[in-house]
Amino acid sequence: MKQDEFRDVLFDEIHRVAAKDDRVIVLTADMGAIKLAKFKESFRERYINVGIAEQSGISIAAGLALRGKIVFVYGIVPFITLRCFEQIKVDLCTMKLPVTVIGIGAGFAYGLDGPTHHAIEDIAVMRALPEMTIFSPSDPVSVEQVTRIAYASPGPKYIRLDKGYYSVIYKTEHDFSLGLAVHRKGEDVTIISTGTMVHNALAVSDELAKQSISCGVVDLYRIKPVNAPLLLRAVEGSKLVVTLEDHSIIGGIGSVVSEVLADNRVSVPLKRIGVNDQYSFTYGNTECLQALHGLGVNAVVTKLICELRKL
Amino acid sequence: MGVVANGGHPGGTFSCTDILVALYYGGILHFDPHNPIWDERDRFILSKGHAGLALYPILADLGFFPLSELKSFGSRFGINPDNINVPGVEINTGSLGRGLGIGAGLSLSGKIDRKDFCTVVLLGDGECYEGSVWEAALFAAHHELNRLVAIVDYNRISALDFTKNVVRQEPVEDKWKAFGWNTVSINGHSFTEILRVLKDIHDPKSNKPLAIVANTIKGKGVSFMENNPSWHLGVPRGDELETARRELTR
Repeated sequence: MKQDEFRDVLFDEIHRVAAKDDRVIVLTADMGAIKLAKFKESFRERYINVGIAEQSGISIAAGLALRGKIVFVYGIVPFITLRCFEQIKVDLCTMKLPVTVIGIGAGFAYGLDGPTHHAIEDIAVMRALPEMTIFSPSDPVSVEQVTRIAYASPGPKYIRLDKGYYSVIYKTEHDFSLGLAVHRKGEDVTIISTGTMVHNALAVSDELAKQSISCGVVDLYRIKPVNAPLLLRAVEGSKLVVTLEDHSIIGGIGSVVSEVLADNRVSVPLKRIGVNDQYSFTYGNTECLQALHGLGVNAVVTKLICELRKL
Repeated sequence: MGVVANGGHPGGTFSCTDILVALYYGGILHFDPHNPIWDERDRFILSKGHAGLALYPILADLGFFPLSELKSFGSRFGINPDNINVPGVEINTGSLGRGLGIGAGLSLSGKIDRKDFCTVVLLGDGECYEGSVWEAALFAAHHELNRLVAIVDYNRISALDFTKNVVRQEPVEDKWKAFGWNTVSINGHSFTEILRVLKDIHDPKSNKPLAIVANTIKGKGVSFMENNPSWHLGVPRGDELETARRELTR
């Protein structure tokens, strides 16, 4: 069955909560979505297109939130995080306002648009902000659930959203307040991934199983605050821990996991797989750019086997 | 306060003090010092937060907090006011170019909820170099936020130099007009003029927001600071301090 695009799942959920709560307002930096148009139709006064003006957009959201509104601000990842980073810091984080920043286009989702649109630094900078909660959902179920959590919880949030269609991973009940899910437990290696890269991680795990390698998969759908105790339990017993992300190798979930392991004096071989410290001026679709940067299934399988041989 | 804590921006503080006095004591702003978060209050945003030294004594004098607490300037109270520590302060300040956007958001929330409060944002002229100010100006005009007032403290001096030498800003009033605002230029040290242009803000006759270009003198009231770019920030000592105190209490 074909799923809705992530953003439509998200705006459907916002539509649901807005129908019951007239404090809910959506600001867009001139970005659309099918279900955002539906929101506009239903709640004309609570849909605001600020134009391609992310900096004032965040400040306007803060002003609305100061009077009790629950605000979602929507734009393309680099522009709704990096362009207005200081407004997010001062207006949202220092004042602890209930504004959710929705970034569309994780990693190479806007592959053809080039490095201005590639989102490879956002996790690193957003997680440096005190008070900020970061969600990075992997499938339609998790998109819906983290959106609901973002609506219901205080303080600023960032939802890192991929573009396109992805199948359901969460087929059974899961408590999304936990911050991560262990999809498979692995004795040889555990891959910790986030966002739609979790799908790659699961495919890698399938490939390794064919070679009798037991590969666990953890979905870190809440990057901050990280559930460190649960993360440590998830990697317990693994001979190798691997992080896999469509983000710079600097400051992303590879760094998060490194910090958790180091701070808890857990000594286990760790391989961080992400985008190397460089900009990409090769253009292509997501799959093509992921392959180019060694994030495709085959490349990751090869890297893992290589790492396992070093043990 | 600035002398004791060894910090502050006296030039831009003295240039806007008369405007703050007019707003708070001239019957313009509606507020309740005993209930600083009263929802019907007017919102005043000191977007040029570095002039906090002008705001603190007024809030204390009006009873938002005891005057004695001003002794904690340099610890609980910083150069740039925040809404965490200081009752009566609406937003956290310090970085420039954000107050008008937040003011626009507040004003829009009032419009959505059919409230009558006004939002007044005081901007520095140097602050108006920030592009986000003009993003917010476009937004406010488009949404017909006619209970939003921007006052530009037009002392013509930025942090280092006269604005005409940094990046030209003239014609300032025409720019706001072109962005869709009602505009007026006044002497920012004349209570008569300040009160005249603010008296009707609760009963707007037009759908446009109002921009007031307040012509001011940086360092107003202290002879050696007046119109002197060297006193954007600094602390007077010795004879200078004596002179400043004498002239300000004259």
